[in-house]
Formats: sequence, structure tokens, C-alpha cells
Amino acid sequence: MWRGVKPTAARRRGGVKQPLVLPYLFIAPAVGLTVLFSLVPLGMLAYRSLFGGGVFATSLSYVGLQNYSNAFANGGTQSLEVTAVYTVGFVILTMGIGLAVALLLNVNVRGAAHLRAPFIIPLVMPSVGTALIWASLFAPQFGFINRILGGLGLHQADFTSTPSLALLMVLTFGVWQFFGENVILYLAALKTLPMDLVEAANVDGAGPWRRFRYIRWPLLRRSTVLIWVITTLTGLQTFTQIYILTNGGPNGSTTTALFYIFNQGFVQFNTGQADAMGVILFLISLFITVVQVGIFGRGARRDA
Amino acid sequence: MLNPRFASRALVYTLLAIAVLVVVFPLVWMLGTAVKPNGQILDLNASLWPSHFEWGNIARAWNSAPFGRWTLNSVIFSVGATLGQILTSLLAGYAFAMFDFRGKNILFYALLCGLMVPFSTVIVPVVQILADFHWLNTYQGLIVPNIASALGTFLFRQFFLGAPYQLGEAARIDGASELHVFSSVYVPLARPIIAAFGIIAFLQNWNNFLFPLIVVNTTSMDVLSQGLSVFQNQFSSSYNLIMSAALIVIAPILIVAVAAQRQIIEGITLGAIQ
Repeated sequence: MWRGVKPTAARRRGGVKQPLVLPYLFIAPAVGLTVLFSLVPLGMLAYRSLFGGGVFATSLSYVGLQNYSNAFANGGTQSLEVTAVYTVGFVILTMGIGLAVALLLNVNVRGAAHLRAPFIIPLVMPSVGTALIWASLFAPQFGFINRILGGLGLHQADFTSTPSLALLMVLTFGVWQFFGENVILYLAALKTLPMDLVEAANVDGAGPWRRFRYIRWPLLRRSTVLIWVITTLTGLQTFTQIYILTNGGPNGSTTTALFYIFNQGFVQFNTGQADAMGVILFLISLFITVVQVGIFGRGARRDA
Repeated sequence: MLNPRFASRALVYTLLAIAVLVVVFPLVWMLGTAVKPNGQILDLNASLWPSHFEWGNIARAWNSAPFGRWTLNSVIFSVGATLGQILTSLLAGYAFAMFDFRGKNILFYALLCGLMVPFSTVIVPVVQILADFHWLNTYQGLIVPNIASALGTFLFRQFFLGAPYQLGEAARIDGASELHVFSSVYVPLARPIIAAFGIIAFLQNWNNFLFPLIVVNTTSMDVLSQGLSVFQNQFSSSYNLIMSAALIVIAPILIVAVAAQRQIIEGITLGAIQ
């Protein structure tokens, strides 16, 4: 891939006159809109999390950290726990299945290369539509799964009113929808591995597991960290299937931090609590990214 | 005696077949449920697959809600936001790669910081800003906040850093303006990457649910995804109608996905390598 450290074309040009105003005109829309719709809102979020008042309130009253303690007292703590359980499950399953399928597709058998296309389907479908399919698969009594359970003479399961089953339903959807992305990313990473190393191990008579464990897995480390970052941030931002399948219930058992922000901000109109949770979710995302990229940087240097 | 090479191939095919089945089955279930006759959806003795296909369900679903209007809204929102993302990212990516100017690093880091702010964490203040602009329930309220793309800017910057600068020099010697060099020399070079980024951005905008949900609250301004969720609330136990509606929303994107699978896969891969 291209590296950012290359000198710009401008510098390579040497003495040629540089346009003075044009560069600013070129970057103004992108930078201006990023500032207006990402950085300004972030500042507003931090500032307004310290004040009371509704979504469209005109006068704000300073309340210190009251919004934070209210958020923690009113379901915020539970939402962070749900987010943690969901995200850990999501990351492990989508990365594990994604890597396994990528390894299968990478095996040199005829037609395997054409089989990667189906895995992008769940990824690009409108998620409200696919979440509704999930609702009908997991529906009480007449849903596919309960028809099968009933047909086998087993107890039917109520996925929408049992807390652990509700979270399982939401998680299975997330995994089904997203694991294809990790298939594509791991497959791309596998294609870049130096074949001579892998083939040398073949000649040495190492079995498939040892070849993977000692040759491919270490070589995949950089890609794995990158995929880990993307997957974690995706997991933290899960929203649609929760809205469609459980609306955060039962008893908040599927209310993630993001769903909590939505619910407090736009349904309950507790803007202060929504802002406080927004700050917390932002800090968590930032912390995770920095830690993961930190590990990535170290791993990259060791590989070099 | 079973050939071990054959056996391992059979195992690979079997596992892959299972994985593909898991991916495709929900879509098959959607189709089967969409065309189920009314009498068979709430009947535990009815077979899982419909005894005959009631294609009229799909027309019934289409006529039960303003799908035409919602499709139009989705098209305006997705096309507008995607074209905006491509244009602003091309311009910014090109400038960061090709020009030296005062404050370049600071401005680049401002963009980088923007990338670090997950959009979903700032939904409340974004809606407050849009309310101040009187942009709630408008197309500009849907489109403009989504136009800046840090990812697009990075992708195009990387591309133009690797583009041959001699091409631009030759055009400049011939008297071409900077704007002309950009639009007639370098943008055509970037066409494949514009296609890969464009298709991914379009699908993301088309499938965006949370943002329209908080910016728009009238039926006539709803995009398809929102309309579909409203539809579900109205016909909560008519699974066949709900699945018909889901089919209406999913089928066009399925066609796009099959037709553009190469660009989509390339876009996903590019998006991860920043």
C-alpha cells in the first residue's frame, strides 16, 4: 500500500509556484463540515452534559456532575454492562467465524474464490429489513425457530420477554450481519502472506493446525489488530436491530449505551443524561481505539 | 479406501456450504413468508413453506403505505449525501496530497480528530444544531451533516500521493489551470477508487437508519428504512405483509449488491486500510 510519509507532489516539484488560495478552497468543505458536525457537537456534548434542561431548552442551569450520577443511577450502569457483554460476544464471534471462513475460502479448491460474494449480502442489506426477518424467525409461537422447537417436541422459547434470550437474539443478528466483513478483510490479509513461508512449512510436513498456529497466525497479527479495532467500534455502535427487535427491553436487558443515549435523548427527553452517556461512550471508544492502535504500533515494529 | 485429499476437499466444501446456507437462509425464509396465504401464517399445522405462492401480498404491501414517496426520499438522501462525500473528499484529498500550504498539518489533524468521533455519540447535539438551522424534517438536514467523509478524504489523499506528478506538470506547461489539472488529469485517474468508495458510501447512506430517525418525524419525509419500521408497527402480526414490505426494500439492494460485488469487496478492503 501507499505510505503517507512520501513527499507530496508539491515538494517533489521543487521551485514551481504554489497556488496560495486554491488549497484552502479545496479543503474548506470537508474540514468545515467535519468541524461543524463532529467537533462542535463534541464540545457541545461535553459542555451541556454539565447543565440541566431539555433538548431544545433555551436557558441552561449548571448542575455539575449531577447528569452523570443520574445516568448511572437510572439504568446507565446496566447499559454499560450490556454494551460490554454484547461487544465482547460480537467481537469474538465475528472475528472467529470470519477467520475460519476466510481460511476455508483460501484453500486451493475449485470455485472457492467465487463463494466469497454471498458473505457480503447481509452486510449491505438495509438492516431494518433484515432485522424484521430476524423478528419473524424468532417470533413467539409462529416463528421459524419456535416451529422447529415445537416440531421436535421441545419447549418453545420466548425471545422477546426473556432477558438473556433477547440479548442472544440481538447478538445472533449482529454476528450474521457483520461476520462477512471480517471474511473479506481476513481473506485480503491471507492473500498478502508470503507464499514461500507457507509452502516451506508444507514441505516440512507440518499439519494444517501447526501451519496455521506457527506460520499464518503470527503473520496475520497486524491485520488482526486492525480488524479488531473496526469490529469493536462497530459493536459499540449497534442500534438498528435493538430498535426493531426488542426496543431495549425486557427491563433494559438489551439497552446498550448507544440505545440509552437515543432513548434518554429522544424518547424520555432527559437530554442531560443522554449527553453524559454520550461523553462516556465517546471516551470508551477513544480509549479502546488508542489502546488497540498502541498494541498495533508495538506489534508492527516487532514485525519489521 | 477414501482418498485423504478428496476427504479434506469434501470437508472444505461442506463447511463452506453450511456457511453460505446460514447467510442465505433468512432471505429464503423472507421470500417464503412474504408469499404465504393469510390462512397459513398463524396456523401451527400449516407447513413452513407456503402451499402456493400468493404474489398479491407484495402488491398489497406496496399499496398499504407510501413506498413510492419513501423510495424517492431514500434516493434523494443517498444520492445527495454520496455525491457530496465524493466531491468534498476528492477536493480535500487532492489538496492535502498535492499542495503545500500554511496550517496544512493542523487542518489535517482536525480531520483526523473528526474521524475519532463516532457519529452516534454526538446525535443529541447534532439534532440541536439542525434545530437551530430549522433543518429538521428537510432534505438538507438529512444530507449536509453526512457530506464530510474522513474516510473518503484519507482514501483519495493516499491515492493522489501515489499518482504520477509528471502528468500534472505536462498539463501545466501546456497552460492548463490548477482547476483543469485537477478535473481533467487527476480525477479521471481516480475513477476506479471513486467507484469503490462511491458504492460503499451509497450503501451506507441508503441503509442509515439512526440518523433519519432522529432528524425526520413526518411520514412524507421518512426514508425507506424508517417507513419499513412504521409499517411493522401497523401490521404487527401480518408476518406475510411485513416480509413482503421487507422484500420490497431489500430486493433492489440485493440486485445492486450482485451487480457491483467486485467494487463492494474492493471498497470494504480499501476502507480498512487507512
